[in-house]
Amino acid sequence: MSWKLVLALALVARPAPVIAQSGNGTTRLTGRVPAAALPAIDSIIATAAAESLPTEPLVQKALEGSAKNIPADRLVNGVRRGLLQLRQARAILTRAVPGQSPPEGHVVAVAAALARGLSGPIVERLLTVAPNEPPGPALHAAADLVAHHFDPDSAADLLVEAHNKGLRGVRLLDVAVAADHELQRPGGRTPSEALAHVRAMLPNVRPGRP
Amino acid sequence: MVNDGAPDMEVVAQVLGGDGEAFGILIRRYEPGLLRFATRMLGNPDAAADAVAESLVRAYRHLAQCRDPGRLRSWLYRITGNRCRSHLARRHTNDISLSDAPPLADGSDTWAVLERSEQVALVERALAALPAEKREAFVLKHVEGMSYEEMATVTGARIPTLKMRVHRAREALLAALEEVVR
Amino acid sequence: MSPIDPRLQEALDGERDPGDLPADLREAHARLIAATQMLKATPPVSVAWRVMAEIRENPGRVQSDGPARRLIRWLGRPRAFTVRLRPVWTLALAAGLVTVLLLPWSNGGPTPGVAQGIASFVGHFPGARSVEVVGSFNDWSRGTLHLNDDNGDGIWHAKAVLPAGQHEYMFVVDGERWVPDPLAGRYVDDGFGAGQQNSLLIVRPVSSQP
Repeated sequence: MSWKLVLALALVARPAPVIAQSGNGTTRLTGRVPAAALPAIDSIIATAAAESLPTEPLVQKALEGSAKNIPADRLVNGVRRGLLQLRQARAILTRAVPGQSPPEGHVVAVAAALARGLSGPIVERLLTVAPNEPPGPALHAAADLVAHHFDPDSAADLLVEAHNKGLRGVRLLDVAVAADHELQRPGGRTPSEALAHVRAMLPNVRPGRP
Repeated sequence: MVNDGAPDMEVVAQVLGGDGEAFGILIRRYEPGLLRFATRMLGNPDAAADAVAESLVRAYRHLAQCRDPGRLRSWLYRITGNRCRSHLARRHTNDISLSDAPPLADGSDTWAVLERSEQVALVERALAALPAEKREAFVLKHVEGMSYEEMATVTGARIPTLKMRVHRAREALLAALEEVVR
Repeated sequence: MSPIDPRLQEALDGERDPGDLPADLREAHARLIAATQMLKATPPVSVAWRVMAEIRENPGRVQSDGPARRLIRWLGRPRAFTVRLRPVWTLALAAGLVTVLLLPWSNGGPTPGVAQGIASFVGHFPGARSVEVVGSFNDWSRGTLHLNDDNGDGIWHAKAVLPAGQHEYMFVVDGERWVPDPLAGRYVDDGFGAGQQNSLLIVRPVSSQP
């Protein structure tokens, strides 16, 4: 493996999307996005900027669709869908933590959770547990559990309990991993049994891999 | 030495006593139902065969942990259900690919005149469109013929939850079937 | 989807005689029962030989391995795959295998900052001429993160320093086949309307590692 390539990647690696807000990002799209789609996408990104929503996720979505050669109409719809998710995310955050303007990073994280299929009520519930902490890890942990067919409310219960027992940030991802491991144990544990086993372990869930 | 007709408890005892070949009796006994269940869950016979094979090997390896050999069937279905969920999670969707399914029949046809194969394809398509939990509940209830009590043992869900899933699955399937008749 | 008449539900649950139902509900009952009968066909396959072969080959109890050791054993075992041709964005070959690990940086490469982590991409693509990773961390640009198969065994790998947080990505095999990571463990709909999924990676900051 060429360390030069890795170093080059590290040097050009973008900051987390919440940070990169260079105007409306459309200069990055020129030459990448099909000309037919560029005006509509530019308009969507401008709308997001005017509404003080993060624009980087929309720029990324446009770049992704272009790289995948998505037809122009579906490309535009994909970016538009991203805008709708950002709006919905901010609405949820405003309800969950009233009186504060939600940080852009939190909006991006909630939008990502919605894109993974988490319901608004579950997201809102998890947000209210730790309103001033970055919500990404808890929401991804919940989405992981739901993706593995754990009941959403039970998943949220477990994560709330884990948080109450001192687990924060990426450690909540470990809780989801532990639950899936318990589910896969020989003898065929039910989801409820798996969650109960993890609950009994808290806070001593094995740290490590995502 | 047990014969093919021996009760599950006797066969399990024989296997745990060191006669691994006796496990073949259990495979022959439960494989058809497990394959049917997995095929309906995953929508793909190859994936279903993999899931069932993995489940049976796992069951053999951990047969001593089957707490009640008299309820072996529930235990095997629970393991297979978990494997199917893992396969679905790895496939990163709860939906079944329908790329190999034949196209839907023209809506002007009536149910009675559709060819048998088209009818089967319609039903399979309607089943595949259900969310995984509802699909599983419907298959266990109506295809595998389980009681709600046994379904609760297999899935770990409460009986009222299972009834709700089955009821919703029936509604979705009937709605899909009635679209053809209109 | 309309709710079914409770009498029909009762009949289907065996709590009411279907003969007691009015004509329209009896017809619906018959239609649903007919449909379930079609689903009762047993697939004309058997896995008995595979299972018994595995049992005879490894008659002893299998040790419980961690995911990494299972991965290593999986990689070392010859396997046959059924190949189905699929649309380009879906799994083209069943042989894709990826684990994202956070590994100690042991041989003098770039040191990640406190808000960065190390991602290791590994894929099993026998016969491939090239494999690269394309994702949100490189603006979905081709040609910036290539995997290497130094010894020609079909196992491709690369490491990268990435910002901590969420990243979406796919593999591009031989410059044309876009393949989601089948072992990423997390996926998200790409939002372009065709039900295709991106792999989702959550990079943990090195500072969070034990």
